[in-house]
Amino acid sequence: MPEIDRRGFLKLAGASAGAAAAAGCSDHVEKLIPYVVQPEEVTPGVPVWYASTCRECPAGCGVLVKTRESRPIKLEGNPEHPINRGRLCAKGQASVERTYSPDRFHGPVRRNAAGELEPTTWDEAIAEVAAAIRANPARVRVLGGDPGDTASQLIDRFVAATGAGGRVVSIPFAREALRAATEQVFGVASEPIFDLSGADLVIDFGSELFESGLSPIEHQRQWAEARDVATHPDGGLRLVYVGSRLSLTASSSDEWLVAKPGSEGLLALALARAAIEAGAGGGAHAGLLSGPLANAGADAAARATDVPAEAIRRIGAALARARAAVALPPGHAVASRRAVGASAAVLLLNEVIGAVGSRVIVAAPEGAPRQRASYKDLLALIREMQDGQVDVLLVHHMNPVYSIPVSAGFADALAKVKLVVSFASAADETALRAHVVLPDHTALESWGDARPRPGVRSLVQPTLRPLYDTRAFGDALLDVGRAVSPEAAAQLPAGSFRTLLEANWTGTDFRAALKSGGVYQPASHAASGFAASKVEVAEPVFTGDGELTLLAVPHIFLWDGSGAALPVLQEIPDPVARVAWDSWAEVSLATADRLGVEMGDVLRLESSAGAIEVAVLPRGGIRDDVIAVPTGQGHVVGHFASKAGQGLVGVARGGNVFDLLPGDGVDESGGRAFLTERPRVSATGRHRRLPLLQWNDNKRERQLGEAMTLAALAGHGEAHAEHHGPHEMREPYDPAADAADLQYQETFHERGENSAKASPYRWGMSVDLDRCTGCSACIAACYVENNLPRVGEDETRLVRQMAWLRIDRWVGEGEPELKGGRVRAPRSREQLGDTDIRNAPLLCQHCGAAPCEPVCPVIATYHNEEGLNAMIYNRCIGTRYCANNCPYKVRRFNYWDHQLTKWPAPMELMLNPDVTVRGQGVMEKCTFCVQRIQAARQDAKNAGMLIPDGAVKTACQQACPSAVYTFGNLRDPDSQVSKASAAPQRGYHALHMLNTRPAVTYLAKVLRGKVEGSPS
Amino acid sequence: MAAGTAGLLWTKASADEPLVASSVCEAHELKARLAEDPELAVVIPPEFDKPWPSLAACRSHEAAWDPDAPGPHQPIPFSHKHHSGTFGVDCQYCHSGTDRSRMAGVPSVELCMGCHAQFPAEYDQLEGIQILKQHWEQQRPVEWVQIHRLPEHVKFQHQAHVRAGFACQDCHGPVEELDKLYLVPETKWWQYGLPTQKLEMGWCVMCHRDAGASTDCLTCHY
Repeated sequence: MPEIDRRGFLKLAGASAGAAAAAGCSDHVEKLIPYVVQPEEVTPGVPVWYASTCRECPAGCGVLVKTRESRPIKLEGNPEHPINRGRLCAKGQASVERTYSPDRFHGPVRRNAAGELEPTTWDEAIAEVAAAIRANPARVRVLGGDPGDTASQLIDRFVAATGAGGRVVSIPFAREALRAATEQVFGVASEPIFDLSGADLVIDFGSELFESGLSPIEHQRQWAEARDVATHPDGGLRLVYVGSRLSLTASSSDEWLVAKPGSEGLLALALARAAIEAGAGGGAHAGLLSGPLANAGADAAARATDVPAEAIRRIGAALARARAAVALPPGHAVASRRAVGASAAVLLLNEVIGAVGSRVIVAAPEGAPRQRASYKDLLALIREMQDGQVDVLLVHHMNPVYSIPVSAGFADALAKVKLVVSFASAADETALRAHVVLPDHTALESWGDARPRPGVRSLVQPTLRPLYDTRAFGDALLDVGRAVSPEAAAQLPAGSFRTLLEANWTGTDFRAALKSGGVYQPASHAASGFAASKVEVAEPVFTGDGELTLLAVPHIFLWDGSGAALPVLQEIPDPVARVAWDSWAEVSLATADRLGVEMGDVLRLESSAGAIEVAVLPRGGIRDDVIAVPTGQGHVVGHFASKAGQGLVGVARGGNVFDLLPGDGVDESGGRAFLTERPRVSATGRHRRLPLLQWNDNKRERQLGEAMTLAALAGHGEAHAEHHGPHEMREPYDPAADAADLQYQETFHERGENSAKASPYRWGMSVDLDRCTGCSACIAACYVENNLPRVGEDETRLVRQMAWLRIDRWVGEGEPELKGGRVRAPRSREQLGDTDIRNAPLLCQHCGAAPCEPVCPVIATYHNEEGLNAMIYNRCIGTRYCANNCPYKVRRFNYWDHQLTKWPAPMELMLNPDVTVRGQGVMEKCTFCVQRIQAARQDAKNAGMLIPDGAVKTACQQACPSAVYTFGNLRDPDSQVSKASAAPQRGYHALHMLNTRPAVTYLAKVLRGKVEGSPS
Repeated sequence: MAAGTAGLLWTKASADEPLVASSVCEAHELKARLAEDPELAVVIPPEFDKPWPSLAACRSHEAAWDPDAPGPHQPIPFSHKHHSGTFGVDCQYCHSGTDRSRMAGVPSVELCMGCHAQFPAEYDQLEGIQILKQHWEQQRPVEWVQIHRLPEHVKFQHQAHVRAGFACQDCHGPVEELDKLYLVPETKWWQYGLPTQKLEMGWCVMCHRDAGASTDCLTCHY
């Protein structure tokens, strides 16, 4: 009855008003469906937050799950959690999509006589599995990843109770070499905790601390805090990166030692020797010089590692001089067949520079003894399967068919197992080969816990009722075990998994732990002594006769392949390569020339283990003898992971680099090695246009990602005009001269509207480029918060991505060359050893004199009195003039109704109800998270005050591990953003010369230069 | 029951064909007519000569499903007039989110049952009560038809308006006088020219101008 729309009214304008009111009714009926029983804590429209734990990687960050009407819509870091302190990476931000994945199983399934998976009931499925176990328990094996602390203990009890033949834990990116090395030299079988807070010199031997590192969020925060130029006038922490490729971490380092892959151990020893020779330890380590460091002279090491002897001596001296230095162990990509020795060498270096016990903490493992990931055990299991000794295989929290190298023979051996049971919650390569699938809840639907490190126990709690007929892994396991035999049932714990969990937390205040997300205590160093004699470093061993060494690089988002199912992680371009939705192979420019290939030409990589074909991405920042392929792609199952969502069912997305690795590639302790191959590389003659989001790393001296030297910042040394920093310093914020004010007066005041009320707010942001690593956590947060469309591979190729926030990656200042003619991808400007990389997050600048505003014919975009560049979707008619006129290119146009076409059910359930879903033909862009401003405004109004500083945190700001963003009110001189934006030397406005008067102030990156060996 | 009552009531009864009540509600109506016209031949069987459900409840119940009244048909003949007008139940008793949330909230079945479970069993004669209790027994939510509807691109804040002292009726009309709810047309603003309909933007903006509230587009559209 209420809905007489305008058109309907005009049609009936001739009729009487009463008739119009009766006849103009719309047929569209919306239903209001209230709860049957409204949960006590729920007020419709008001979010409820639950503390939980992120289960996407082993770091174990605490999260707060934002639910609206009992539906999780966003994850944010838990400020109380000691590991991430309120921040959350892209993987964590995206993990909310796992619950709403279209790939999820809707209930248990079993394989029928025709070999197809068909739905079944839980009772039948459990009876089938239990009967198979009962038949011969000794031929039962459990294989899986990390299910969490209590669940892991439950598996052990299940194995004991049913008499199952054994259990194997396997995690593709387990740190087996580091653990083995720690056990060798410290006698403690655990991973050391590396603490960078307060450090002044960090050497990363390829741990990739900001991407696939030991604890990326924690380390990124500690790194940023330790080098904040406001509190460290000398520039604070220096980061030295050792590796063969300009990775994300290398791009944020101060010095890049372009070492041969696999030579990290030798380099660590050489640095240790150089440090001792420069006086580290004051003679305490002199004995080492004739022991393990006897042959670690700088010149010999220089030949073996390709790092100049000068650099080794210089950095060795810097290590000796440093107040708080720390070395990080090699990561997965450089885990060679000699990885244990390399890790031990880095631990030795830490011992020499006095980091052990303070910044390298070796704590005793806590809790019940846990089975650790072991690749050796996995290979043994595969042999048993091949020999037909396994009748029943229970697979949980793992996708072995994808993540174990094909040549290890797991997939083939699986065919010899009579009953394969998967607990996967969503379809993957392994689950689709199972005979029975007992689908687990997702992490957001489950109870659970984790012990990410000694001292930290973290809880996982359910935040919504399971969407489907799934059962928690622990409960399903208990049900199977109880159905096997009464004897087994008697040995298993009574009650549900939830009761077991609470029992496992006896001695703690469980309620309080639920509220704060866990129990947190500092870890204490438990190791004494250092068995230096056990350190044995050797050159890596490679197989294959190719000229290029294969580097299987853990993808920052896709990780071991588990991220590929999440469309946000596919959609965000790799921060270094700028490729989305595909895999690629990085080679140097010289190598590309030698192979005769250009960007996008498809290479064939052939190793003894297998072959893949991927498009090539030539770069300057990679050694000539290396070819790097990221992990994570190459799935053949999944709506987003494979090309199934594009209508190509069973077609892989990109290539799986694991297929090139030999199954028997192991390190000294039997751990999984990734740096083992020298594949033959050849051009196929085919070309594929890569879904690339940035072709050009030349910023042409435009003010888009500025940097200045430390000397220029300090105001001495180089003349101020010479440094290639911000060319013109901006003046501090002046409300009187604010273009937003002027424009506002001109548009509204003369019409007499709101003229009496000058707003107390002028929203602004500062973006500190010195803190930005490009990790893209902010982008993922923006996608989830603002319902951004995930446009998919084809639209990405057309550069129709909808990201409101992107991170441009520039190499140095660039050159102002402009060439006419056809636009081609210019050659990469990266150089070996050069780390002047500018990561410039670009979002709507909310310009005071915005070029987009005057060109809009319908005033769909305009400036409001609070300085926000408003974008009113329901006014927009889609002329796209605004996007054409935006010099920052931050406006995005909806060519399609993405939410209808690209969001398979039930993904619409994760939409943020506070943000309008944009339809086809509408422009959109960053709003400074205006929904958060409005919510804070209401709260402040209710409390009878102005919005306090810090009450509004934009999604990007909230997520950023290194606090790049500061947001707030520029009219408040005491606000954090006012203070940050007033940085007289580093502050600048992007494209300052256009006089757009942005509300975003960038703070230039500080180039600290190479590490100095002797006191200056 | 509901359909039969009207025909019965307006038939002129004679002594040899007395009007016979077939429900408590009809009995109430016949008693009322008898009071006006003592000559009327009326038979009220003792099983229908009961106080509950009350006359007011019966009338509201019927009016809420009156097909000739404006407004959509709702799954339950719920009368706002009966609850809010006759009994003076505060709006926020059921729509409890109005002063603390963006949304007013629609009461859960449990909240309805909170009162209705305590009422005399005789009320179960009313079909609406039967439907309500079915929903409760089957734990099935009620699918109400939305009347006061804003498009998704409007972010209306109930708490802002309620806390500013506006009455619910300012936007929702005289809800407490309506058995069957519909969006009562607003005529107050027609003097300004175009016949502005309630819950359309022009109507919102006029009030915002009058009250000195923000007319920035971003206040409601984001």
